[in-house]
Amino acid sequence: MAEKVSPRGSMLVAQILLGAAALAAWQGLANAGKLDKFFFSRPTDIAARIVDWFRTGSIWIHLVVTMEEAALAFTLGAASGVLLGFGLARSPRLGALLDPYIRLLNALPRVVLAPIFLLWFGLGIWSKVALGVTVVFFIVFFNTHRGVREVDPVVVNNVRMLGASEWQLVRHVLIPSAMTWVFSSLNISVGFAMIAVVVGEYLGASRGVGYLISQAEGTFDTTGVFAGMAVLSAVVLLVGWGVSRLEKWLLRWKT
Amino acid sequence: MSHAIRLDRVTKNFGQYTAVQAVDLEANAGAFVSVVGPSGCGKSTLLNLAAGLIQPTSGSVSAFGEPLSGLNRRAAYMFQQDALLPWKTVLGNVMLGLRLRGASAPDAEAQARDWVGRVGLKGFAEAYPSQLSGGMRKRVAIAQSWIVNPDILLMDEPFSALDVHTRLRMENELLDLWTASPKTVLFVTHDLEEALALSDEVVVLSAGPASRVLNRYPVDLPRPRDLIDIRTWPRFSELYREIWAQLREEVLTSYGREG
Repeated sequence: MAEKVSPRGSMLVAQILLGAAALAAWQGLANAGKLDKFFFSRPTDIAARIVDWFRTGSIWIHLVVTMEEAALAFTLGAASGVLLGFGLARSPRLGALLDPYIRLLNALPRVVLAPIFLLWFGLGIWSKVALGVTVVFFIVFFNTHRGVREVDPVVVNNVRMLGASEWQLVRHVLIPSAMTWVFSSLNISVGFAMIAVVVGEYLGASRGVGYLISQAEGTFDTTGVFAGMAVLSAVVLLVGWGVSRLEKWLLRWKT
Repeated sequence: MSHAIRLDRVTKNFGQYTAVQAVDLEANAGAFVSVVGPSGCGKSTLLNLAAGLIQPTSGSVSAFGEPLSGLNRRAAYMFQQDALLPWKTVLGNVMLGLRLRGASAPDAEAQARDWVGRVGLKGFAEAYPSQLSGGMRKRVAIAQSWIVNPDILLMDEPFSALDVHTRLRMENELLDLWTASPKTVLFVTHDLEEALALSDEVVVLSAGPASRVLNRYPVDLPRPRDLIDIRTWPRFSELYREIWAQLREEVLTSYGREG
């Protein structure tokens, strides 16, 4: 056991050292005046800003809004993706009819929708939720569609021979098969939901981490920009870790 | 004697391809009938027809005197490939048939636990199929199809993917189950030894396409049979030679077509 841990442990130490060296170099160059503090800030200043945000609690309103938007975007996007993916997979004619339009919409870079959504839904959370939904929907839609279409015909025949009605077939085979695909893309869709809502906030909002960063940029506060980025990365990583655990549990029947 | 399953001059085309042609096949209630033939001779097609999963192009299929329309509700099917639901545990898979037929959860679970024990998987009830060996998955499949107590059991080369020893054990267990509660078994295999050892009758199909029934051989070996020794019995060898003389030609024909 000790032999197995030690290479991983030494890798971790090396990883930490690399990060620390990069930060130290940044700090050193900034202190020595080689890097302009106005453009590049300093790790100590950024850390102090983050500590300050959490000490005063001013960050929470932004974090909570961003998380709320991401959660709503994910829920609505996933629900509509599952429903439509399922419906179109079960009625191939309708699927064929809508196929070019779905591809067309999916080909659109989402960020160009942000101004439209701002006009339609205003500066509040719903314009960000809408942007997130357009991202999550397509990921979940394509995965559901595939899960239903690629279900093993032998399993379907087996369950039918065991006496399943159409609805029982849907419930015991098609839904679990589609969910397999949706669950295995959970990490991607949750991550994309967060990115999309932050982009939305960045382009126009009154709250949220994206708004925080854009505000800092507006006042040439590089320290605030970097601090916002650091907080955002940490939160996305943390959520990703939780989602990975959930994914593992949901798909525990796969070895 | 009543037929549990009967195919009457059944032809099945898939587009331009004729899989089986004018096949007559019947199994009496409680009989163990094997269908042998070279690969690609439409053996699985016959089972799918008997199951009602596909409809004949011409001819008719009936179960216990009733013409089939749709699925054969008196039959269970054990597939060649893995057909277990990967997201359900062993117990969930075994109790599925009872649940689908409206049994209450506690009742279905109690029966399923009994069956899981009967096929030697006690202690694996909560395992998922991906955690089991090939032989164990076959045991689950047996329990899954037998628990609904079907009158007819359709088996499509169920043991072909297993190693020789596991296979012999599974065949023995199958015979034990069949002796304990006689069902009509229609057993498809390309292995003549397996067919002889298990069956009351062996049906030989010609090489495809447009396979037909070449001959039927009653197997007059006494029961109960011990599959470990049966291959050394003189009568077994006699029957084997007799049937193989015919089957051999078909296997060579089928090789010729593939090559």
